[in-house]
Amino acid sequence: MSRLVLAVPSKGRLQENAESFLGRAGLKLVQPRGAREYRGTIDGYEGIEVAYLSAAEITQQLGQGAVHFGITGEDLVREMIPQADRKVVLIEGLGFGHANVVVAVPQAWIDVRNMADLDDVATAFRHKRDRRMRVATKYVNLTRDFFAAHGVADYRIVESPGATEGAPAAGTAELIVDITSTGATLAANGLKVIEDGTILRSQANLVAARTADWSDDVRAIARVMLDRIAAHLRARAYREVRTRFQGCDEKLLAAARKRFGVESPFGGPTSSGMLTLHCPPREIHALAAFLREHGAQAVVIADIDYVFTAENALYTRLADAIG
Amino acid sequence: MPAPRQPDQRASALIASYEAAGYARVEPAILQPAEPFLDLSGEDIRRRMLILTDAASNELCLRPDLTIPVARDYLASPAAGQPAKYCYLGPVFRDHGAGSAELLQAGIESFGRADKAAADAETVALALEATARFGLTVPDVRMGDVGLFAALLGSLQLAPAWQRRLIKDFNRKTTLAHDLERLALGPGTRPEYHGVLAALANSDPAAAHAFVTDLLSIAGISTVGGRSVGEIADRFLEQSALGAATLPRDTRTLIERFLSVTGDPPAAAKVLRTLARDAGVALEPALDAFEERSVLLAKRGLDLRAITFATAFGRGFDYYTGMVFELHDRAGRSDGQLVAGGRYDGLPARLGGVSVPAVGFAVWIERLAAIGGER
Repeated sequence: MSRLVLAVPSKGRLQENAESFLGRAGLKLVQPRGAREYRGTIDGYEGIEVAYLSAAEITQQLGQGAVHFGITGEDLVREMIPQADRKVVLIEGLGFGHANVVVAVPQAWIDVRNMADLDDVATAFRHKRDRRMRVATKYVNLTRDFFAAHGVADYRIVESPGATEGAPAAGTAELIVDITSTGATLAANGLKVIEDGTILRSQANLVAARTADWSDDVRAIARVMLDRIAAHLRARAYREVRTRFQGCDEKLLAAARKRFGVESPFGGPTSSGMLTLHCPPREIHALAAFLREHGAQAVVIADIDYVFTAENALYTRLADAIG
Repeated sequence: MPAPRQPDQRASALIASYEAAGYARVEPAILQPAEPFLDLSGEDIRRRMLILTDAASNELCLRPDLTIPVARDYLASPAAGQPAKYCYLGPVFRDHGAGSAELLQAGIESFGRADKAAADAETVALALEATARFGLTVPDVRMGDVGLFAALLGSLQLAPAWQRRLIKDFNRKTTLAHDLERLALGPGTRPEYHGVLAALANSDPAAAHAFVTDLLSIAGISTVGGRSVGEIADRFLEQSALGAATLPRDTRTLIERFLSVTGDPPAAAKVLRTLARDAGVALEPALDAFEERSVLLAKRGLDLRAITFATAFGRGFDYYTGMVFELHDRAGRSDGQLVAGGRYDGLPARLGGVSVPAVGFAVWIERLAAIGGER
């Protein structure tokens, strides 16, 4: 029986977040021989093999179809895999590892607000200095595509594997393209993000390799795994709201859907007015007030562990991609 | 084991004929520094280059073309600055994502000839010899002249910022239309700067410099990276001047009419002369050179009516400065050009060498061989 290979980050915040995400989805990672072991399993799932790799290696192996699934940042997928959408499919954003890939210039460039300004400055720079403006980045492909889309031609890329934000101050580049989550590091280095210079809003994704060996065995286990993840993601996105009162009818439910984005997993109210709703966390207080205004005596709101549905949207996404 | 590759005899015969015409055969190194290619062709070429890094982190590449290697060797030789003619036949390396990245190219490069029109005509004639060797006697000849566009802009008294921009975007046609639109719109397009620009109106550079220095200190910005305060001040001054002057509608119309001219070279020259006279712009020197080249091409037996000239035709590389051309199969049996080249007077100086006129072309041997059939 062939096994499904899931690649997860082997170190750092990404590893912690991935492990706790999978754990909450009921997929508990087991590293049998201690933290130095690079292969693991998932508790209770014989058919899944876990490969611990760096985020860059995960991305590379996804592109080659050497693993079935991997958890990695969209930034790396777009940067490292040529024609990424042909090789992999982003199954779902996981809600952690948020970071933007941005174009940043020295704050002193008060005349540069947007990419059109940068284009103009780059051309002038080349005419004056007889060399192209240098962009320090590790995102060579993202930079090139983004600059081309904005008509910027007079620049050179200086590859910078780390501490890119220091390049302008060090004099090794005039500007940078780098990842930022809060912008604090950029500001501390005297840099500012250009207004329309956000190349990509990235987060950690569950990514599937289209070209991996998707045997029937592997598909079957993928379906179970994605079912768990989908159930967790859906549960995480909502709180359960229960109430019962006369006057709770379809019209009221329609209004609640419109105002608060609620779902009703078991349909409308029962004949005795029992109702179960799933509500986005930020709307629960407003919803509770709304329901009481319309006659509810009590509204009970609770966290949900899983929401399993007949349709498995994540598996459908995978099946569409691998045929 | 594949048998040793025999060079196509037609390619060997072609290179022999170039040698007979006075072009010395050269074989530049296959491994080249990546820098000059990226600097001259722009980052867009990087995706097609095969780049490797040596132990000292220098970027090297397998040569993606031969023009730059031949020019570098010429500039490093004692002949630098003197007239010199070279030809080559050898592999170039370009990653197209599919198929072999190794392609065979032949070509010539001619440096230092002051009689530019004659050198241009000779170059086109030798290019046609390449297609003829492979049985293609009447290819589709597409021609342009980057120098004419530069001459037009030079005679229009445009703000330097716009002139720079239009020349850059000439090689990127989608943005050129956008530029013309922005030029015609003029003030009101950049409201975010109005305060600063108004404050700077009619300032001299020293006052602008002081003003920008003040702005930076008010904002608490002490480090200036990459560009000097003077450069930032200069750009504000330039923007301030631009904001006041829109492109007159008839100037925009003139540029658009100019860029729509197409036809055989004599017909195009006639239209351009009328255009220049009506608009009162001084295109005569550029057009005289253009017509001199046409006469010399005809003298070499070329049928000028078989040439499709277009003022908007460019090759996407900004080191070309004059005539540019491509030879294509009329029957469309090849995806790309069979032969392509032009005048690149700006390149030797950009490589850090002496400033000399230069013209040449490259021949895609496999494409020609595929069309020409078995030898």
